[in-house]
Amino acid sequence: MSLHGIRTIAVLELRQRMRTSRWPVVLGIWFLIIGAVAGLTWWAVHDQAGDRGTTLYDVVLFFVLGLGMLVVPSLTATSINGDREQGVLATLQTTLLTSADIVVGKLLAAWAISLAFLLAASPFLVWAWIAGGVEVGRMLLAVTVLAFVLAVICALGLMFSALTARTISSAVLTYLSVAAFTFGTVIAFLISMPIMATQQSVRVKVVSDAFYQQTQPGIASQTQPGIPSQTQPAIPEGKLSAEPTAADCVYVNRDQTILHTERTWWLLALNPFVVVADAAPSHKPLKYLGFEPLQMISDGARTARMGTTPDSLNECWPETQPTAVVAGRSAPLQDQQLQDQKQQDQQVQQEQLVQNIQRERLNKVPAVWPYGFGFLGLIGAGTIWVAVRRLRTPIRRLPRGTRIA
Amino acid sequence: MDAAAGIEVTGVRRAFGSVLAVDHIDLQARPGEVTALVGPNGAGKTTLLLMLGTLLAPDNGSIRIAGIDPVAAPREVRATMGWMPDGFGTWDALTVREVLETVGAAYRIAPTAARARAGELLELVHLGDLADRPARVLSRGQKQRLGLARALVHKPSILLLDEPASGLDPRSRIELRDILRQLAASGATLLVSSHILTELQEIADRAVIVARGRSVAMQDLSSASSDQGSRQRVSHWRITSLDPPRLMAALVHHGVATQPLTDAVDVEVAGDVAASELLAVLVGDGIPITAFAPSYGALETAYLAATEDRQ
Ligand SMILES: Nc1ncnc2c1ncn2[C@@H]1O[C@H](COP(=O)(O)OP(=O)(O)O)[C@@H](O)[C@H]1O
Ligand SMILES: [Mg+2]
Repeated sequence: MSLHGIRTIAVLELRQRMRTSRWPVVLGIWFLIIGAVAGLTWWAVHDQAGDRGTTLYDVVLFFVLGLGMLVVPSLTATSINGDREQGVLATLQTTLLTSADIVVGKLLAAWAISLAFLLAASPFLVWAWIAGGVEVGRMLLAVTVLAFVLAVICALGLMFSALTARTISSAVLTYLSVAAFTFGTVIAFLISMPIMATQQSVRVKVVSDAFYQQTQPGIASQTQPGIPSQTQPAIPEGKLSAEPTAADCVYVNRDQTILHTERTWWLLALNPFVVVADAAPSHKPLKYLGFEPLQMISDGARTARMGTTPDSLNECWPETQPTAVVAGRSAPLQDQQLQDQKQQDQQVQQEQLVQNIQRERLNKVPAVWPYGFGFLGLIGAGTIWVAVRRLRTPIRRLPRGTRIA
Repeated sequence: MDAAAGIEVTGVRRAFGSVLAVDHIDLQARPGEVTALVGPNGAGKTTLLLMLGTLLAPDNGSIRIAGIDPVAAPREVRATMGWMPDGFGTWDALTVREVLETVGAAYRIAPTAARARAGELLELVHLGDLADRPARVLSRGQKQRLGLARALVHKPSILLLDEPASGLDPRSRIELRDILRQLAASGATLLVSSHILTELQEIADRAVIVARGRSVAMQDLSSASSDQGSRQRVSHWRITSLDPPRLMAALVHHGVATQPLTDAVDVEVAGDVAASELLAVLVGDGIPITAFAPSYGALETAYLAATEDRQ
């Protein structure tokens, strides 16, 4: 392998692509689609309070990755067997170029075109940055990881095009494996959940029975088994003669189904979307302005990695959902409108507090993406190795149905 | 590297799964000569050339190209070997000149030198006026000529040409012959394949006949060669006359070894000088001669015999 050889191939590939194919048109359509998505997102969030840039950034990057995974495989999936069909591969193989020169040169050319697609989407990321809420460092890390994912997809396509004789087979195999990484990992994770689930006795923190018996003899016990925490009845506003405090929390043992996602979260880590989404999470309060796909994916993956913890078994809402104290609450209320306003403020702050607690929990979970990044790196290196081996000449074993020239 | 070694193939065999493409081929191609590889379709010529061209490893037997084993040291072989495939695929979007420059880069020739070489070669194969057209629009024969130029970019001393004459018009064929003779005269080793006998008769010094993956005969075609030594050798000529009985009588009278055919007669003389003397004598005798040409009767017979049993 030599720099000169790699450059020769990369220049040849790029020159061919520039002249023959519809890449300028595809690039234009790509720009319009991403632009439309960004415009719609902005239209949806522009009048909201908070960091509108994060939503814009999330949606744009999500679409760039999603559309990129549709476009990028076509850059390499027919590259080697297509050349063989055209009868131009063997003439290169009899020159001083090595098989590594050919494979790496083709990979670099395809990757350069993928980066052109990223570049075409960058104005919208800059827009998101101007709109506020996204740090430059976070953005750069996510874009770098995204570029890496695209390189791995390029390498995958190259391998299949080196392995199969027919271009249609390699194209199908490449798209199938991209789909396997995207959907297969999620499906495998979902299937793994009931398989890994166990019925076991766990220690749950709840509001003590004693508290309810003292204050509301009429209300059924909250510690009865089988009542999931989500269905906890809301606090009847103003009806309580006394509100429970953290001091009223007690531990009880309860038989419960536990999903052991902490054993299978790595399935999610192999997903390119998770890798990109989790590379640079915002660590912001758990508050979605609207559709923030990357943040949601990252939170989901880290929640899975966290699994069942004492924190997640804490159902004592005075601890997990502390009541916000709104300043000036005790002041006499002037009129109905002001009263409504106060109530709304209180609710917002209440939500904020709860989200902060959940965010703190998630922030304690180690990042998920390095595993996927490493895994994709191995895939990339492995596929390049296979492709280089497959192009090595003189050939001893020729795959069935291929002619060299 | 030993440029004087040419090509040496002994007992080479290659199968693709259950298809035995090359069974047992022995051949030798010497520097300064054009060696023809003749055989019907499917005889295994392309497969043999792929093995010589460092693309395919033989199952058995040994190959030496300029004294180097292409399996053990393909790179060294590639540096001195030019290969022209029988397919004429080329990069669609590049111009004719760019194709040659790209191949030059692949042989690590500096850009300026590659550009100069491309210009030279385009003149040689008469594609100069098409130099800046896309390679895609070339006709089949023009693509063949571009293929030849591509094989010559790095001035190889060993040339492997797979059916170079197919698709060429008569004029291009004569030009091809001149180019190949020129290369041979400069000391290169040329191995040229074809399934059409007449394509190679004027080009080659010797022919190897291949059938069903086996080399069945090696024939000397020295009358086609213009070097001094061959002029002394026995050569075969075919004479046609308006009056065959008188021709036969005259030949017998002058004591020439003859082999009568239906509409002509083959004679055996000692070299080119003797042949021209014989022609002068016959014309002097007033015999109406319409054709006096080198005969490839022996090669033809061998070729037909070797390929008789094909399906
Ligand atoms: N890659 C291959 N796989 C299977 N069979 C092949 C392959 N290449 C050549 N053959 C077979 O080997 C035989 C010789 O082919 P080839 O060398 O191309 O003949 P030629 O060039 O003399 O016409 C043919 O029968 C052909 O079908
Ligand atoms: Mg052939």
